[in-house]
Amino acid sequence: MARRPARAVLLGMPALLLTLIAGGCGERATPGAPVTLVFKHAKILGPADPVPGLLRRFEALHPGVRVRSEALTWSSDEQHQFYAINLEGGSPPFDVMMLDVIWVPEFARAGWILDLTAFVPAAERAAHFPSALEPAVQEGKLWALPWFMNVGLLYYRTDLLAKYGFAPPEAYDELVRQVRRIRAGEGDPRLDGFLWQGKQYEGGMVNVLEALWANGARLLDDAGRPFPEPARARESLAFLRGLIESGVSPGWVTAADEELTRRPFGDGRAIFLRGWPYALDLFELPASPVRGKVGVAPLPRLPHGEVGAGSTGGAHLAVSARTRHQALAVELVRFLTSDAAQRAMTEGAALRPSRPSLYRDAALVARDPSLPALLGLMQRGRPRPITPYYLMLSTTLQPEFSAVLVGRKSPERAIRDATAQVDHLLRAIAP
Amino acid sequence: MTDRNLSWLFLAPALLVLGGLTVYPALWVLWLSLQYRIPVFSIARWAGLEHYAFLAVDTRFWNAAGVTAVFTVVSVALECGLGLGVALALRGQRHWRRVALALLLLAWALPSVVTAKMFEWLYHPSGGLVNFLLGGRAINWLGDPALALPALIVADVWRTTPFVALLCYARLLTIPPELYEAGQVDGAAGWQAFARITWPLVRPILLVVLLFRTLDALRAFDLMFVLTGGGPAGSTETLTVYAYRALFQTLQVGFGAAIGVVVFALVMLVAVGYLRLINRESRTA
Amino acid sequence: MRAGRLRDGLVLLGLALYAAPFFWQALTSLRPDAELLPLAQLWPSRLTLAHYDVVFRLSLMPRALVNSLGIALLSTLLAVGLGALAAYALARLPVCGRGLILLGMIAATAFPQIATVSPLYLMMRAFGLRDTWLALILANASFALPLVIWLLAGFIREIPLALEEAAAVDGAGRPAALRWVVLPLVAPGMASAGLLAFLFSWNEFLFAYSFTASEASRTVPVALALFPGVFEVPWGDIAAASLLASLPPILIVVAFQRYLVRGLLAGALRE
Repeated sequence: MARRPARAVLLGMPALLLTLIAGGCGERATPGAPVTLVFKHAKILGPADPVPGLLRRFEALHPGVRVRSEALTWSSDEQHQFYAINLEGGSPPFDVMMLDVIWVPEFARAGWILDLTAFVPAAERAAHFPSALEPAVQEGKLWALPWFMNVGLLYYRTDLLAKYGFAPPEAYDELVRQVRRIRAGEGDPRLDGFLWQGKQYEGGMVNVLEALWANGARLLDDAGRPFPEPARARESLAFLRGLIESGVSPGWVTAADEELTRRPFGDGRAIFLRGWPYALDLFELPASPVRGKVGVAPLPRLPHGEVGAGSTGGAHLAVSARTRHQALAVELVRFLTSDAAQRAMTEGAALRPSRPSLYRDAALVARDPSLPALLGLMQRGRPRPITPYYLMLSTTLQPEFSAVLVGRKSPERAIRDATAQVDHLLRAIAP
Repeated sequence: MTDRNLSWLFLAPALLVLGGLTVYPALWVLWLSLQYRIPVFSIARWAGLEHYAFLAVDTRFWNAAGVTAVFTVVSVALECGLGLGVALALRGQRHWRRVALALLLLAWALPSVVTAKMFEWLYHPSGGLVNFLLGGRAINWLGDPALALPALIVADVWRTTPFVALLCYARLLTIPPELYEAGQVDGAAGWQAFARITWPLVRPILLVVLLFRTLDALRAFDLMFVLTGGGPAGSTETLTVYAYRALFQTLQVGFGAAIGVVVFALVMLVAVGYLRLINRESRTA
Repeated sequence: MRAGRLRDGLVLLGLALYAAPFFWQALTSLRPDAELLPLAQLWPSRLTLAHYDVVFRLSLMPRALVNSLGIALLSTLLAVGLGALAAYALARLPVCGRGLILLGMIAATAFPQIATVSPLYLMMRAFGLRDTWLALILANASFALPLVIWLLAGFIREIPLALEEAAAVDGAGRPAALRWVVLPLVAPGMASAGLLAFLFSWNEFLFAYSFTASEASRTVPVALALFPGVFEVPWGDIAAASLLASLPPILIVVAFQRYLVRGLLAGALRE
């Protein structure tokens, strides 16, 4: 008597197992069993947040799927720390993530994100800026799709420059001359000259890199060795420090990030600002004191470099390697980076698309006439060093550069110390 | 069950927890410091003494060592001086003693992160109380490399003085008043009473407190990490903050472990040195 | 007598000024946003509970408070439980290598956390304990144990041996003597040790920051350090969160002062 139930169980087991496996592997959302995708992203800066609308549209296209949006902390460094801690040795509680472009090679090398090569056709890839796609392609495989694009540029007060008969400066000594002339003419002690981000964080690193590139210096050579043009690098650092010492830039820029510099410029208290494109939308808001008085120009050059060496930036979307809904998550990524979604983002928020075609789109240009100019800037912009170890490099170098900016170290010493530290790092990475 | 067996039964759980979570990691960190170890990229190689060789010539390390030394010496000196002063003031307290102690101990009991945020707000250039009381000058306490370390030391002294004060106060309470009366007969009063009666009796406890506080200051992390993050430009970056950055920001576990071992050795050296001093004191006393 | 009161009152005032930073933070938590930056006047035009509202509704503090409370209570129980047993053994029972064990324990209190955090992190990761309560309970208990054992061993030694001998005459074995004679007498000492252990666990930052990843286990100090701000730092909200984070320490200092002081003094004054 005891044998029959046992045999029934024995026979039933494989069948049960098979059904369970088949059910678990299925990606289709079975009716009545909602799939929730978790989308982790930073708060979108600008007047309106287009993401909720886009997510609802995705849910409408995929019945039975809910997308839960979760916000990250504000600072890029903290976001990275959050991702690193969550992804490194566990099942992270999210499926789709917004990544700063500089993290993509690192996350790919660490095995934290899904290989998207099979899911994305070549035509779809080619629709994005090459400089945006380059960091996302490692070892011939595609790891993320570009979501929006940034480039460092120079904001200037059109009214002030016109008043004194100046054109946007092409070289930095021209910028300094203009600042001196305008401030002497205006006689307003609260009018700052040139605002930029000098705080010890990734944004500060970007500013220093742009100064290096403006003088024809690189951070790493092709073999990955640091400071291949040390003399020019020294000049760039000395120039930045000089801006503060001479008063062209106020001392507090060494503790300022994007928002701390955007606000004074947006209140009309500065002549020049180095910033990202998102700020333009905020300057053109109806209540903005500088509405209609802001122009956009490529970053000036230093003696040995060229104009427009702005750093590109932006965010990519990637799928967690441990997600349980691979196909759906990839679908979400492709949806959010699609032409239609990026169009909605450009209209609604202060974000610039990663698709060059949208910069020439008649409807979008009608709303935002600065798009064609931005296209040129983006195409001239340069990405930060594309290596999985970029963040390690950056966090190692930031204190050294910061020491120069606050006047604690000379550029020579800083570069010497920075080189020693990077060499030590490289010994661990690439023996 | 024999007493001996019982003793092992009672000791075992505690020793297990301590051994596994304190002693074992202490040995492990030594082992880690001899490797190139970056778990995120699966890098795990023998490095020998390479990290230590690098630290010996690393300017950032020596800067951190300098900051740690200055922070420790100044902070501990101020705490002990101020703590003794507070204790002397409290000694005669008859009314509202509990309230007084509560006000005093509050600073010590607060979480260090709370203290850090509190002082960050006090030092704020435009919203901070300090600048307000100084007549509205927008001094950037935490952003100026020359001011950040003193500002940090003030915050730390505020936080730790109560501990010193409490211990000195307890010791002062045990000094019988007859000693002072006898001293007054001899013509010693005021400063002389302090130098001849109070000081010799308080000195032993002050030495013990000095030891505790020095070890704590060498290992301090929370306050400087949250208040300044080691900035600006490393002017408040102690060895502990440098180690933390190496470990969790650049993810160099081997290198970070090496810095940790250096802190470890420093702490042990100071502890042994102090204990010798205290032993000699108690023998000659 | 009047002079005595005046003098004591001045000392009290002095100490109140010493604690002023804390009161300032409390005032900041009630100050409306518009009056925070720049600071125009000392006392705000009106008091507001808006910051507390934000902290309770929109931040992770409520969950962090629960985490901190649970972790602190459990690690205190663990530390005092294991510590009491070990202290009794060291104080009363024959232990071979007692000197070595005591020395080891003293040395353990000097271990810098920054040195042990990386191996512990790897350990927690290997056991899958990252972002769990257990990781912090174990870490905090291990750090509090030496102090607890040290304190309790001292308190136990103060209890006259005669009491236990009397119990033995009555037929009680060691465990019974411990349970019925020693523990009740050392209970105040255990309270002191427990309060110190709780306070340490509540305030602990480094391990909590390194081992936790999400609100599942994030404690109050970590939540405070990572307080989110989109554009600018929300000083009022942070002040409110700081006040909440300080509630247990305040309670201990005000209500359980006697035990706290006793614990602090016993720990330091015993050679």
